[in-house]
Amino acid sequence: MSGINNGPKDQITTSQAAVMVINYMLGAGILTLPRTMVEAAKTSDVWMSILISGVIILVAGWVIVKLCRRFQGKTVFQFMPEITGKWIAFIISMIIITYFITISAFEIRIMAEVTGFYLLEGTPAWAIVMTFMWVGLYLILGGINCIARLYEIILPITLVFFLIAILLSSRIFDVNHLRPLLGSGIKPVLQGIKPSLLSFTGYEIMLVTTAFMKNPKKANKAMMAGIVVPVIIYLITVIMVIGGMSINGVEKRTWPTLDLVRSFEVQGLFFERFESLLLVIWIMQIFSTFTVTHYAASLGWSQLFKKNVRPFIFAMLPVIYLIAMIPKDINEAFKLGDMFGNVSVYLFGGIPLILLLISILLKKGAKPN
Amino acid sequence: MSYLPNWSLLVQAFLLLIIPILLVLLSRVIRKSLKTSMDSHSKPEKEIGLTDVPISGTYDSDIASIRKAIGDQADVWIREMVIRGTEIRAALVYVDGLTDNDLIDTHLIAPLILRGVAEEHRTSFLDSPLSLSTYLMEQLIPVSEIKKVTGLQAFTEGILFGKTGLLVEGLPETLLIGSANGKSRNVEEPMSEALLRGPRTGFTERLSDNTGLLRRHGQNESLVLTKFEVGSRVKKSLVLAYMRDIVDPNLVDEVTLRIQNIDIDDPIESGYIEQLIEDNVLSPFQQLQNTERPDRVIAGLLEGRAAILLDGTPFALVLPVTFSMLLQSPEDYYERWIPGSFIRFLRFFAALLALLAPALYISFISFHPGLIPTKLALSIIETRQGVPFPSFIEAMIMEISIEILREAGIRLPKPIGPAMGIVGGLIIGDAAVNAGIVSPFLVIVVAVTAISSFTIPVYSAGITLRILRFTGMLCAAALGLFGVVMFFLLICSHLVRLKSFGVPYVSPIVPYGLSDWKDLFIRFPLKSMKKRPFMFNPKDKDRRN
Repeated sequence: MSGINNGPKDQITTSQAAVMVINYMLGAGILTLPRTMVEAAKTSDVWMSILISGVIILVAGWVIVKLCRRFQGKTVFQFMPEITGKWIAFIISMIIITYFITISAFEIRIMAEVTGFYLLEGTPAWAIVMTFMWVGLYLILGGINCIARLYEIILPITLVFFLIAILLSSRIFDVNHLRPLLGSGIKPVLQGIKPSLLSFTGYEIMLVTTAFMKNPKKANKAMMAGIVVPVIIYLITVIMVIGGMSINGVEKRTWPTLDLVRSFEVQGLFFERFESLLLVIWIMQIFSTFTVTHYAASLGWSQLFKKNVRPFIFAMLPVIYLIAMIPKDINEAFKLGDMFGNVSVYLFGGIPLILLLISILLKKGAKPN
Repeated sequence: MSYLPNWSLLVQAFLLLIIPILLVLLSRVIRKSLKTSMDSHSKPEKEIGLTDVPISGTYDSDIASIRKAIGDQADVWIREMVIRGTEIRAALVYVDGLTDNDLIDTHLIAPLILRGVAEEHRTSFLDSPLSLSTYLMEQLIPVSEIKKVTGLQAFTEGILFGKTGLLVEGLPETLLIGSANGKSRNVEEPMSEALLRGPRTGFTERLSDNTGLLRRHGQNESLVLTKFEVGSRVKKSLVLAYMRDIVDPNLVDEVTLRIQNIDIDDPIESGYIEQLIEDNVLSPFQQLQNTERPDRVIAGLLEGRAAILLDGTPFALVLPVTFSMLLQSPEDYYERWIPGSFIRFLRFFAALLALLAPALYISFISFHPGLIPTKLALSIIETRQGVPFPSFIEAMIMEISIEILREAGIRLPKPIGPAMGIVGGLIIGDAAVNAGIVSPFLVIVVAVTAISSFTIPVYSAGITLRILRFTGMLCAAALGLFGVVMFFLLICSHLVRLKSFGVPYVSPIVPYGLSDWKDLFIRFPLKSMKKRPFMFNPKDKDRRN
């Protein structure tokens, strides 16, 4: 029996679109971001890089929204042929799909590594990954609306627990670790932009979700909120981690954020250590990043071949799994992530801009009013 | 080359793919078999002997055919008499126990035998027998519910349902007189939903009493009670109640459709109806809310929901239902908003405890003792020293025995129940600790869990959480804290996919909507709850004019 309030198509509200962007962005990066940035910039001023890259991402996001709103109700896979012609669109779509698959695999691998290291020593990775993917599969089969609703449940839990865990670390926060301000000039700050850009990948999901929005006019707002919240969270994280452990301490650790939360105990509370809390919400965040990319990839295939999405969702399971298992160790996994992070900068920073320009020049698509 | 996946990886990938496919196929098969078993149902054949013949008017043959049809029923009584002042024979046919004997004596037998037809009318019936029935109805029989029937089948059916039949010599039709007086109990306080503050009325088993309770709740013209007949062999009345100018018409259409599609020999209790019209059979969550409280039904109707009342049960069904509603009690609204919110908050917390506490215990003790405070971990481990089982088995022993206790407590007569609880809870728990089978800390966890699950106002929702608790414990035993997180995500995934009559089960928690949140974790002051819940798409959105 079908529901009675079902519209012709799954639709999501503005806040759901924003929540999807936020949940996608807050993924593996949050545990490693302080390290990758400090490694690249070798300065404690990297928090400025986050602000700068946040602005860059906002611009890129604005381009994407502008582009999508010219083609109402269509995802990037559907409207690209109208701009570039069938074959180029096909190639670019394939690249985007590959990108989504790889990010999905990367997140899973990182999740398996962290879980295996901190929570489940000795449990084989496949047991962790399979459970994770099956739960994700069950969610994705419900469609984009269900995905968005689950994210709305996860997000408040994440924000509250994350803020509790990270703010409690203020007891070991030392502002001297952040000084001197701009001690080595502006150049390192600029060097830190690149790694921080990588952790902001996630806004590209609007290429797909704008098509599902009930009110596409508000896509800009959703994008804004979707970017600003992660920027704030990343900013707090980086400042607290560097302030708590100094750049020398950060550089040596694989998961500096987790180590920061592990490094202090709060007496007198029921929990003295908050890493379990942090891990729990982090697993949830990885779950959301994984599911949204898995869904986006499957949706891409289905729209490319104009077939039902369900078989593709199933078919993506082993593909993602095998890709996730390719890297031999955690460092190779990070390399894979970096590689596709770089790809994303060109793919979602450059190509939408070009597409937008072409569509404006050739007057393709409707001008958004 | 070395990056190519090896065989074991490929096998794992294959398993990863094939197991969910099999599960999906399995669930599809189950759903299909449920559908077909309902469709391929054959109508019951008409009972032999109850063939429909018209009433002939010849007294002897009519009474013979009535006797043939229902005369062999032990409780059918036929009282024959002669109407005073005439030579016309008549017979009253009724079922002992279904009818009101006083009424038959004083309002049927007395007028017919003692008063009879008045002298000035006697001659007028000789030529036209039909006017006699009009005379009986209009001047002789002082009963409100009376109607003419011409067919034998309708006549006997009416009698078996509690009416009294009057057969009169020479009349080609019979009269059915409403005299039903089935036994029912008084309006009492509902056992399963006791409140400290609030009306002490509960539904009874009689439908007319229940609809009366709804009507009597307060004067209002928009309350609509639509009657349906369900059950193919045993016919039962079912009433669909809603507020005409509040409810979403699509909801009424959908419910009507589903009620009309009900195909079952006898819906014994409203639980049958619930299971036959729900959205998802495989879900552990109930998709209709059952209640014995008229005030709760009225409150639901005012929110733009609909209610189903079935004859023969005090449990009404309110639909659609969402998850948060199962944790709300009418008392939240009767108390002032601060205590109401506090208690409601407490209940949400208790539900979380009831669901996850043993699972968390298992995962922390078995997998991550390092994650709990050192002193606490030490004291727990110390008390667990002599326990010969892993924490999962330990927790299972306690949880299962407490479930058995609870089940036993329900079956036992009232005076013994509490004693049983004390014996079971205190003595067995204490003895188990002393015997070294379980640790005292676990007894605390299990006790808190059990008490928490009692705070859930809807009993059947409590059962759901109890079942899920065991699943959670299994997940924790297999994968520790990670398993618990997966379990939580799985339940959430299921909840976001579930719908109750088109309304998402997790509304109003998500999608975010500030207006509906006024009645979620915190019950805002009544003055600020100006809107009806958006999630039910009510026609009249404002609570006030």
